[in-house]
Amino acid sequence: MTDVNPNAAKPAVSSEAPGNPPAPIPPAAPLTPAAPTTVTLTIDGKPVTVAKGTNVLEAARSLGLDISAFCYHPGLSIAACCRQCLVSVEKNPKLQPSCQQTVGEGMVVHTTDSQSTLARKQMLEFTLLNHPVDCPICDKAGECTLQRLYFEHDNADSRVDVKKVEKPKVVDLGPHIVLDAERCILCTRCIRVCDEVAGEHQLEMKSRGDHQELTTAPGQQLDNPYSLNTVDVCPVGALTSKDFRFTMRSWELEATPSICNGCATGCNIEIHHNNGRAWRLVPRLNLDVNGHWMCDEGRFTYHELREQRLAVPTVGGLPSSWDKAVKLAAERLAGPLKDPATVAVVLSAQASNEDNFALARLAAAWKAPLYLTARPERGDRADDKLRVADVNPNRAGVLAIAGAAPLGDLAALETGVNTGAIRAVVFLGHDLPVSETALRRLRELDCVIALASHERGPVKAAAIALPIAAWAETAGSVTNVDGKVQRMHPAIDPPGLAVAGWDAVARLASAAGVGKTVAWEHARLVWKDMTAQVKPWSGLPWGREVRPLALRFAGSRG
Amino acid sequence: MADLKTLVMGRKDVADLDLETELPPELMTVNMGPSHPAMHGTVRIVLSVDGERIVKGDIQPGYLHRCFEKEAEHATYTQIFPYTDRLNYVSPMINNCGYAMAVEKLLGLTGHIPRRAEFIRVIVSEVSRITDHLTCVGASAMELGAFGPFLFFLKVREWLYTWLEEVSGARLTHSYVRVGGVNKDLPAGWAEKLDRRLTEMEGVMVEVESMLNLNRIFHDRMAGIGVMTRAEAIAWGQSGPIARSAGVDYDVRKDHPYSVYPEFEFDVPLGTSGDCLDRYLIRVEEIKQSTRILRQAMKMIPDGPWIIDDGKVALPPKTEAYNTIEAMIRHFKHIVDGIKVAPGECYTFLEGGNGELGFFIVSDGTGRPYKCYVRSPSFVHLSATSKLIKNHLIADIVPIFGMINMIGGECDK
Repeated sequence: MTDVNPNAAKPAVSSEAPGNPPAPIPPAAPLTPAAPTTVTLTIDGKPVTVAKGTNVLEAARSLGLDISAFCYHPGLSIAACCRQCLVSVEKNPKLQPSCQQTVGEGMVVHTTDSQSTLARKQMLEFTLLNHPVDCPICDKAGECTLQRLYFEHDNADSRVDVKKVEKPKVVDLGPHIVLDAERCILCTRCIRVCDEVAGEHQLEMKSRGDHQELTTAPGQQLDNPYSLNTVDVCPVGALTSKDFRFTMRSWELEATPSICNGCATGCNIEIHHNNGRAWRLVPRLNLDVNGHWMCDEGRFTYHELREQRLAVPTVGGLPSSWDKAVKLAAERLAGPLKDPATVAVVLSAQASNEDNFALARLAAAWKAPLYLTARPERGDRADDKLRVADVNPNRAGVLAIAGAAPLGDLAALETGVNTGAIRAVVFLGHDLPVSETALRRLRELDCVIALASHERGPVKAAAIALPIAAWAETAGSVTNVDGKVQRMHPAIDPPGLAVAGWDAVARLASAAGVGKTVAWEHARLVWKDMTAQVKPWSGLPWGREVRPLALRFAGSRG
Repeated sequence: MADLKTLVMGRKDVADLDLETELPPELMTVNMGPSHPAMHGTVRIVLSVDGERIVKGDIQPGYLHRCFEKEAEHATYTQIFPYTDRLNYVSPMINNCGYAMAVEKLLGLTGHIPRRAEFIRVIVSEVSRITDHLTCVGASAMELGAFGPFLFFLKVREWLYTWLEEVSGARLTHSYVRVGGVNKDLPAGWAEKLDRRLTEMEGVMVEVESMLNLNRIFHDRMAGIGVMTRAEAIAWGQSGPIARSAGVDYDVRKDHPYSVYPEFEFDVPLGTSGDCLDRYLIRVEEIKQSTRILRQAMKMIPDGPWIIDDGKVALPPKTEAYNTIEAMIRHFKHIVDGIKVAPGECYTFLEGGNGELGFFIVSDGTGRPYKCYVRSPSFVHLSATSKLIKNHLIADIVPIFGMINMIGGECDK
């Protein structure tokens, strides 16, 4: 109950005693304060006001107090099974799990008193009883909650002199995930991720006591499309990703905020990279888009960043220099451009707003018609969670940029190519799904210019191919299915001579003699132009997003 | 005649000069260094000379700049020890101690370091002070033509380096001290070996002193050269032997006592004339005083742990780290994240071989310093050198610069 009808809360009028004339009710009578939607409590002597229904753990975090916890996750239901977040609540004889304890008005909580400090230490000692000495070979080392909490809250020597309980070490749970049962601290976060995020009950606990063990549910394997979120939430290295394990140590990675380019949802992610190479993608909290999660398919999109890349400009399939390539392109375009209707400029729903905007601007300078290419929809992957059928990250962006201008579809393009009505094609990206006939026809044309990051499909058929940076390599933005424009930051360098897509367009424009309106020095200037011209985006600020970035490795420097 | 002079010289102010006086010559610019046999380290002095007389010496350090301060911002608190070794590399132990003391002050551990560790620190520091002075005196004597003392002193220095190697495992870049104590205990038989080496050194000292102290050439080259008054020494921020040669009674060990220094009896030698000879005599005397401290420390050193018993500061023993998860995590967090130091800033200083060596550290709460500044005595002393060499002959730069004992690693940081 957070909303109160203000009309129902008029002040009591006391002067309506019998015999007295009714006192006039002032038109703007002061309202009584609305029923409290916030609660004020005291934690470690500090007063804090939080929304009603918050738990004590979150209230403490809002004060900057770090209550140790394993099983609590803000995106999941409360299990209160790790007993690591116990705190003393006054007038309560026993310690309370702060994740499960809802705040109450006037509640007095202590997190540093001897009782809860001792409980925290003892729980950690207990948790480490059967934990293997695996840090040097464990993928979670460096970003491990158990390591952090032990170091900060316990830091005592081992008192164990009996053999540790042995459990299975390499259990194949599914296509993407391996379990090390010895490392598991039985927090059940992964079970809840499957149940609550993916909606599939695929993991369970079996046995009890020190023989309790995580296992797959009967007849199941861990293969839901959100399964790798279990690896993210695992506070230890029990669940590891087959894709990432043994490739890179977490503390050597740098994190750059970006947007997943796997589909139109636009999940917020962090690119974890090192030495110019991306090693994994993990979700970044954004409650408006993806919450804490992302899908497995999206996580693997980074592999494309290092496959079949176009690294140098090519002319007729042979390496060239930028100057020669754009000069030749301009020369060959000069003829067809006498009749701009014969030049097709193809935008891509796979490319960023900036790249598409630049190319659309060039088309406008030429007065050439626009077409749109996109990867075909995949109805099988759509669900009511994060995955949608449109696997293009930026269809909405291209449509916004095209605005009222007619946007030809691919059938029209193909017909035009086959009939010879189109004599030149300038296209962005490598997803031009044309028929074999049209491909053959494209090969015959000497004026097919590709601006592509990958040497694939139609790019190989292009007479001239100009290398551009992929999504993780340059500053750009994409517009998701809800029309939300989200910024991507460059994490790694583009290969070879590749430049940002808008830069490639500007080079081409300059060689073609229309460089006056199609020239930018920096992505920021493209953004400035773009937000000024594309109506729905007017006034969008460049720079840091309003929402502060929560990098996992925000502590890393250098 | 006077009119003629005015006529010839064209200036009234020189009218009193006799005609034999040469016209003021044009100054000649001479480069001394950065690579010169008599320039310790690599430092360049651009000399403007009037014949042999130095009119101006423009000192340009920086050739050995290794970004110590910037590098330190990227290393964990423990990883910085090897960098400190390379500051004043003829007395690395003192640098180690100074840096450790700064971090300990930030951690609030000052006064909680095990007593044995404090004694070990004093012992290795004083041995380092001796090696520092031996290098300075030996090299300076050599540059003035006395090759014997150099060989004698470097022989002794090598004995002490060998002893330090037994203690730390490395001859020159020891990295022996740790936050909260020292890396490991002193090796068996350390005291006997050190005592023997010190006794042998005292014999060599007698020899060298008899060669230098009353040596006419040495005396003429050192006495009255590079004179600095007491007031100047204070105004120029000098410390260590340079300041004490000018009569400034300042020794951090006495005036701002740290570690267990108050428990030792030793004297601080002071000069009267503030020239190079006084600096030499003070360094020789300080070697003897350090020997005095060492002999007391050998008797007084208590048994006990050599590093603090605090899991958040000290690394666990290796056997523990390999066999228990608790120690493994501790080891891991130390190595990967570094010792977590609460946000704050502090300045700590001690008596280095060359003077007051200070570390200013700013912590932002992570395992790496936000800023790590060194107040290196060599840099401060070098700033006064252009004043000291002024009006001296070019040849005098050698003893002046030698007794400044500028160490490039420390000066350029």
